Amino acid sequence: MTMQCEQFEQILEQQDEGALPKPALAHLETCEACRALSSDFSAIHDMALELGAEDVAPPERVWIALRNQLEAERLIHEPQDALQSASPAGPGWWAVFQRPAVAGAFLGLVLAAASAVGYLSNAPQSAVHYAQLTPQQGTSSVPAADSVFKEEVLTVGSDSIPGLQRQDIAVTDSIRRNLQIVDNFIAICEKSVREQPDNQMAKEYLYGAYQQKAELLATAMNRSMTGGLQ
Amino acid sequence: MNASYSSPVRLSALSAVMAGFILAASPAQADRIEKHFAVQSKPKITVRNSTGRIQVKAWTKKEVLVSWTSKSGKTAVETEQAGNRVEVAAMVNEDAASADDSKTDFEITVPVESELSVRTDSGNVTVDSVHGDMTFDTVGANLQLSDVDGYMVVKTIDGSLLCTRCSGKLEANSISGNVQMIEPTLDSVRVQTSSGNIFFDGSFLSRGIYIMKNFSGTIEVHFSSSDSFDVNASSLKGDVINQATFKPDTHGTPHPASKWGHSLFGTMNEGHAKVELTSFSGTIKILKRD
Repeated sequence: MTMQCEQFEQILEQQDEGALPKPALAHLETCEACRALSSDFSAIHDMALELGAEDVAPPERVWIALRNQLEAERLIHEPQDALQSASPAGPGWWAVFQRPAVAGAFLGLVLAAASAVGYLSNAPQSAVHYAQLTPQQGTSSVPAADSVFKEEVLTVGSDSIPGLQRQDIAVTDSIRRNLQIVDNFIAICEKSVREQPDNQMAKEYLYGAYQQKAELLATAMNRSMTGGLQ
Repeated sequence: MNASYSSPVRLSALSAVMAGFILAASPAQADRIEKHFAVQSKPKITVRNSTGRIQVKAWTKKEVLVSWTSKSGKTAVETEQAGNRVEVAAMVNEDAASADDSKTDFEITVPVESELSVRTDSGNVTVDSVHGDMTFDTVGANLQLSDVDGYMVVKTIDGSLLCTRCSGKLEANSISGNVQMIEPTLDSVRVQTSSGNIFFDGSFLSRGIYIMKNFSGTIEVHFSSSDSFDVNASSLKGDVINQATFKPDTHGTPHPASKWGHSLFGTMNEGHAKVELTSFSGTIKILKRD
């Protein structure tokens, strides 16, 4: 029996390491969209494993696709022209993120990228890497993971999480209020790190706040996508 | 005469009829439903709820009793048992329009030795006298644990945690919730909240590790003169208020004075426990217990 895309996505979600089963490989040969999806996941996964690498640079199209779809979902407040003009992602790429498990996995990978930022900044050459926290001026067409994380994930607002408005108003208010708290902490920490670049404690708090925001968004998306707790 | 005699009777009858009408017109009384699950030693109970109160208490029977009420009638509770695993989930109907519609209150009685996993959005959760590992995942639900023993993991967004006479290990993570540990006998504490306060009033056990961290709230720990612990307290923008007399830490790594913020390092008695208190802009208080 021929495998469908949905079945393939389920296998991909559950696949930790190693080769895909034969039916999934057969499906890959015939389905361009799933090939792209598999390739993207592999790229992000590999990137997450390379926490100690000097440059965390996944394929450009991963970030372009992510950005385009975040824009399409109105999850980004201020789209950037430079990346907007790049080639669009394949249709349906974002659709897979509507699946809670995949969204959770993705946010996990984003967290890994955030951890990589922290790891790099803790290295002796931290001053060099810290410079990446501020917008870079065209040294490369490929944005570093930390800057993408900062530009993409940290600009997500509570008003733009799909389905969140449908939830229990107390829950919605709680998530909105706490997103504001975390955003405020991020702003305070960033200011401290800018003023005191060698202050390790301020940096640790900044990365902790990044991680907290990503986790909060994951919770919000999980609650909204699954219609609460169902 | 006759009229004056009959008037109270007629009034009573009228009142009874009116009361009947009022009762009939009011929403139906929420039905309480019970289910019993026979289990062997140490069952694992998983509870999923959207909103409503969850009360868990222990008894000596080898049985899990789950009872619930849904005032709106717009939730359905599904239960499942497979051996020592019992799962309970409140499912909200599609026509549920408000938080009240989604509300289901649970009362669950479990064997003393039980594992718990609770996930809810809002509504209070109380657990009393249960011994076993526990996980709690909430958005705004407040959590009260009393006389529990085990490895407890709490994740909440702005729910508070009150842990009274808790034993074992505690990991708690919140953004704006407060965390209070009253008379704990915990040998491992890892508590983090951003804007919430942290309060610890208990003994630091030998070999225990106590890590408490926040961003802007107050961290307050109470010690007694017989406690034995190393302390490392740092607040980047806030104050460190200390009533203890510490001697320099002789068995740990040297702590160079930080040029940022306020820090305190030292040892009380032999330093058998390790206490780390960290805040970004909050005040850290190390106070002597009366």
